Amino acid sequence: MKSLKTLAMVTVLGLGLAMGAGCAKKNVEEVAAPAAPAVSTKAISKKLTKNVVYFDFNKYDIKAEYRDMLQGMADTLKQYPSIVVLIAGNCDERGTAEYNQALGERRARAVYDYMIRLGVPAEQLDVISFGEDRPAAQGTGEEVWAKNRRDNFTIMAY
Amino acid sequence: MDIRFFHGLRSLFAAVFVLVFAMQAQAATLIDIYGPGQNQINLSMASPLTGPEAEAKELGADLHKEIDKNLNFLPFMKLVPSGAILGGTVLSGWQSEGIDFRRFQIAGADLVVTAYWPAGDSENSTVELRVFETFSGKFVFGNAYSGVTKQEVANVADRFCDDLMYALTGGRGFFSSTVAFVKGDGKKRDVWLVRPTGRDLRQVTNLPGSALSPSWSPDGRYIVFSHRDERTYALGVWDRLANKVTRIRFPGNTVIGPCFLPDNRVAVSLSTGRYPDIFLLDRQFKRERALEQSSAINVSPSFDSTGTKMAFTSSRLGGPQVFLKDLNTGAVTRVSKEGSYNSEPCISPDGTLIAYTKGTPQGFRIFVYDMVTGFDQQVSYGPGSDEQPAFAPDSYFVAFTSTRSGKQQIYLTTRHGGPAKHMPTGPGNAAFPRWGK
Repeated sequence: MKSLKTLAMVTVLGLGLAMGAGCAKKNVEEVAAPAAPAVSTKAISKKLTKNVVYFDFNKYDIKAEYRDMLQGMADTLKQYPSIVVLIAGNCDERGTAEYNQALGERRARAVYDYMIRLGVPAEQLDVISFGEDRPAAQGTGEEVWAKNRRDNFTIMAY
Repeated sequence: MDIRFFHGLRSLFAAVFVLVFAMQAQAATLIDIYGPGQNQINLSMASPLTGPEAEAKELGADLHKEIDKNLNFLPFMKLVPSGAILGGTVLSGWQSEGIDFRRFQIAGADLVVTAYWPAGDSENSTVELRVFETFSGKFVFGNAYSGVTKQEVANVADRFCDDLMYALTGGRGFFSSTVAFVKGDGKKRDVWLVRPTGRDLRQVTNLPGSALSPSWSPDGRYIVFSHRDERTYALGVWDRLANKVTRIRFPGNTVIGPCFLPDNRVAVSLSTGRYPDIFLLDRQFKRERALEQSSAINVSPSFDSTGTKMAFTSSRLGGPQVFLKDLNTGAVTRVSKEGSYNSEPCISPDGTLIAYTKGTPQGFRIFVYDMVTGFDQQVSYGPGSDEQPAFAPDSYFVAFTSTRSGKQQIYLTTRHGGPAKHMPTGPGNAAFPRWGK
């Protein structure tokens, strides 16, 4: 009788271990799947909008200090293909309206072109220029103007 | 007398009357407002009459007030106040024989205007307006305006002042034009219309987003403008006949500074490649061909009345500079020679001048470049920032945007400069003035 009990316990334990091993194997397979998205794309998107690229007066070339940041953004966008980003080019108030619209467009397109070169699909990127109409900081003086000569990022889809 | 003969005689008389007035108007050019030494003329208005020494106190008084208000916009004209006329301005006549010219001479008036309402000045009347030189007593110009009602008084004042300006200077269009402009702040701006004297203020678009850079079609039917919402640009087209706005999108998104050519086609900066370049659109507002394309920003096209000269802003030399392109030969010449920031050119309709915005140590100022002599002249002096110059149809007045009052407002100056006069546009920021019919 005692040996029968022992046999039953071993069998249950064995089955349990076997089931447990099966589950563990399944979990490993799921974790190994490439797509991500146990993580919320909304949260990822929010992170992206914190990035800003600043420019010198009347310039639209991307300074070296922003290369790593843009590389990081490009990697994220490639990992989350549902995210669509609007790159908005802006100018400081020192400039005439139509030229500033064009300059803002060049600034937005400079980042767009760079992202394309980093392999981000064009469908995930939009550009717009707000010229001098959307200052990040109010007032005058180089400190304020420097904050307004920028590309900022808005998430259009995630 | 045969009734038909009487009517025929009356019509003949009326035709001769109008013809004589019109001939007089074309014969006299008393003030050279286009030459370098602009002079000033003093004008006095006699009291309107319904008969000898009988003052017209209804529509006559209203018209008098409107004409007075209008003439204050002419920088070459100084109005002599009625209080300065010894013996008063109520005359015993409205033709030269009934006018005591000496009282006007003593007050320093060069010209006197008389208004006569032959059938009284109540609703639907006719008024005869005449202008005389006070020193010679010579008749300068006159015209009769019929069917004057209370609602029409301001329009009659505009027509008279336009005729008067033509008779005195040879130029016209200021009082008969309508200015399109944008009103609002950075996130919501719409296209509005106003007469340069501030009358007939009205809103014509109401779209979410910002309207920028309006431009009238030469026939006065359309206004095109750049329109931007939170994600897209478009070419906005307002059709005056249908009172309808259409938004037309282009590949590359950006649409900057559209401008009508004299043949009713539109030029506009589109961003189809790496840089915004200037393209010609066909009459259905579809892209036809590039007018100016280079590895630089090309914006703000403006055309002369033949459509063969195009002024524009380009960054091909680094900062923005004004250039002129001969569209027949393709030759491009630099217009702005000094300074690192010159933009927003506007060619005068007579094709002799280019007004543009120049960056100076004191802020942006309006300059006028003479295409014949190659000389530049500053015509606005701030304070604040003066931008977006636009020549009036007479090639004399220049409207521009200024922040001199602390907010963006529209002001008037002339091709010679001089004190700027505020154009009333109601509350709120006003910018991008553009003249049209």
